[in-house]
Amino acid sequence: MTPRSPADIRSRLDAWQALSGACLALFVCVHLILEGPEVLSPSLTDAIGWLLEATFAAQIAAPLIVLLILFHFWIAARKMPFRSGELKIFVDHSKALNDPDTWLWLVQVFTAVIILAGAFFHVYTVMTDMPISVAETTKRLHNGWLLFHVIFLPCVILHTGIGIWRLAVKFGYCSKTARETWRRRIWVGMGCYLLLGALALTRAWCQG
Amino acid sequence: MGRKLTFEIFRYQPLDTAATPHMQTFELEEHPSMTLFIALNQIREEQDASLQFDFCCRAGICGSCGMVINGRPGLACHTQTCDLPDHITLHPLPVFKLLGDLSVDTGTWFRNVGKRIESWIHTDKAFDPAAQEERMDNELATKIFELDRCIECGCCIAACGTARMREDFLGATAINRLARFYIDPRDNRTPADFYDLIGDDRGVFGCMGLLACDNVCPKKLPLQDQLGIMRRMVTLESVRGILPEWIRSKLQGCGCNHTAN
Repeated sequence: MTPRSPADIRSRLDAWQALSGACLALFVCVHLILEGPEVLSPSLTDAIGWLLEATFAAQIAAPLIVLLILFHFWIAARKMPFRSGELKIFVDHSKALNDPDTWLWLVQVFTAVIILAGAFFHVYTVMTDMPISVAETTKRLHNGWLLFHVIFLPCVILHTGIGIWRLAVKFGYCSKTARETWRRRIWVGMGCYLLLGALALTRAWCQG
Repeated sequence: MGRKLTFEIFRYQPLDTAATPHMQTFELEEHPSMTLFIALNQIREEQDASLQFDFCCRAGICGSCGMVINGRPGLACHTQTCDLPDHITLHPLPVFKLLGDLSVDTGTWFRNVGKRIESWIHTDKAFDPAAQEERMDNELATKIFELDRCIECGCCIAACGTARMREDFLGATAINRLARFYIDPRDNRTPADFYDLIGDDRGVFGCMGLLACDNVCPKKLPLQDQLGIMRRMVTLESVRGILPEWIRSKLQGCGCNHTAN
């Protein structure tokens, strides 16, 4: 056996995948929480948008997030069933085994592809259509972006929720005895975020 | 009178050049406490003596009778027909070399991964046959024994999506085996040594956390927990010198004997 150097970049890919995934999950949670006030008061959301713009937080964070998504996808793609025949093997395997967690990985793969394309368009339209406000969101929704958000939002929430679950399982923080509790909490969390996002979208749509 | 069970069984003899893989149907009347192992023996004795499958202990100890039962890997001797529907489909375990019908060669696979992970105690101490065996804390001995309960049936490998796609993946059973040496104080290997053995996508980083290994293990071993502990240890080893030591040791917290030095 030839010892490999721990500095070998390939050996750190998993750490980078986990770290970038955790950062993106945190971002999604914060993003949706900041969207939440729209349900109660659109002017509060406008104020948050103004603050993010005035401090240049939005202008700096948006391209960085897109780059982080690209980076995370690039690393995680090494596990995706892109090689010849792999997807068929995995789909057949999932059907035969009928194990929820095996199916969820496929969900993660498909949502990843949607998010990769969707995130770019989402950031592009928001950043080229300043200011960040409920009025601008409403205008975009009525200009045909509603369907995009109806697909994009559940994909992001599913991918994030499953991703957090996998991180906890893969790194041994969610042990066998605590697994059901974790699973329940993750699904409840995803449900809450989906409800919050749906309410915010409805409110923005109704403003028009 | 019991149910009439229909068995759809994979038939193929790879050494027979004229043979083609196909499914063959058998019918059998169910009787109380019937296991798949009993049913298969009955089919072989009464209907087709050429049916090939492995068995030895009949008690879930030897791990020989692993097969895919209605899509899920499991042990034939551990599976009662009353827990299954009327129609039962049986396939050999994938990943392993097919010997014939439901019989596969798990031994060669396990020997190869055993060599890859260097599945033996690494020590500099000279063996003294006359000396008393070193004492071990009871709690630790139980922990090691718990990980040693693997019967090498191959069910976790057959259920693993990664192992199905990538044939060089070590799989849960091998990582579990290495975890047994990781907590054994007689083994002198350091985290860096374990990192060299499993610190890549063919090893512990190949695991995608699909949990199927855990769900199908007939011995109910906490395979994913062991994968988690080993992954954390190896990941922290990969960022040695980058992450401050106090964070590394805090994240390590795996409750095992080896320290992250």
